[in-house]
Amino acid sequence: MTPGRLDSAQRLDDALARLPGSIEPARDLWPAIEAQLEPRDVRAGRRWLWPAAAAAVLLVAGSSLITANLLRREDSAVARQLPASGRLTYAAAAFGPGQTLDPTYDAARQELARSLAARIERLPPDARQQLERNLAELRRASAEINAALELRPGDALLEELLLNTYQDELAVLASVDQLTGGNGAGTTTDPTRMQL
Amino acid sequence: MAEQGTESEFERARRAAEERALVESAKRGATSAFAALYRNHLGKVYGLCLRMTANPATAEDCTQEAFIQAWRSLPSFESRSAFGTWLHRIAVNVVLAHGRRRREQLGTDASAEEEAVTLADPSVGDEGAVLDLEQAISRLPAGARQALVLVGLYGHSHEEAAAMLGIAVGTCKSQLHRARQLLGERLAAQEAGR
Repeated sequence: MTPGRLDSAQRLDDALARLPGSIEPARDLWPAIEAQLEPRDVRAGRRWLWPAAAAAVLLVAGSSLITANLLRREDSAVARQLPASGRLTYAAAAFGPGQTLDPTYDAARQELARSLAARIERLPPDARQQLERNLAELRRASAEINAALELRPGDALLEELLLNTYQDELAVLASVDQLTGGNGAGTTTDPTRMQL
Repeated sequence: MAEQGTESEFERARRAAEERALVESAKRGATSAFAALYRNHLGKVYGLCLRMTANPATAEDCTQEAFIQAWRSLPSFESRSAFGTWLHRIAVNVVLAHGRRRREQLGTDASAEEEAVTLADPSVGDEGAVLDLEQAISRLPAGARQALVLVGLYGHSHEEAAAMLGIAVGTCKSQLHRARQLLGERLAAQEAGR
């Protein structure tokens, strides 16, 4: 590029840079826009979530019953033969973006998890696998509902579903505690009575 | 553009946080939050539409339509991207769709017709040089004008502009080059005529 052209290109760039980015229209456009804003049907977006979440809760509730039956049928001698392999993990419970659960709820959950860890390792393989599947299903459900809450913070239905899922998880853990001869040390707080 | 350079980092961060809150609120159905977003972005969206269409009445229609479409699409807006960029993309789509409809209705090349329109919006500015430049931009061929507006004026990358316009990146670059060449020639001719 010749110096003359360079100078011309620079002047054009300078002139373009001086143009205002914003230009106000001659008339007020908002009334016409506002007239066409349909009210947002916040519940409409939940429709796919409700059956999905309900199905997950039902599935887990059903699986929990199966687990309970398996545990009742197992002989404690068989249970003692099991190798102590693998451990269930307990991620911190969350309640949507920027939210936390009531400390007493989370504390009870952790206390229960600790007291159950040893007992779970002594469970028969099929019962243990079933328990792991149940808990994994519950945690998958809670992760999905948490993700949905990120999209719709403060959604009352999702919050209720998430609370139910956490309570189901506690109920499953509590059933293991009772069925494996626990003395209730890990369930000092009734999970079904917990509130956010 | 000139007014962007003076904003401090802190102010930008504050505005971004405020905008995120407004977007979230509007997503949940608060029209008052959407009205605030409208006020914050109206000037740029209308400026974009005006410069792309070179016609104030068409630009007003496109601006209205862009905000209405933004309201409808807001629930699916991912907050990871900038709201302004997303809104610009909607506005560009509206302008392009408007152009297509117009061509279908007229059975002719509406962009050629629009080229003859003189941008006479009084709010554009009363400085002679600025008005000359705006008029020169408004008389560019549609493809060159759109590339110049998106890349040269509103700071979108060639990739973003090409995606918005539905053209290849190379085409966008050559359209911008053509626009700059034509503008340079026309401004030089205007200066010589004074």
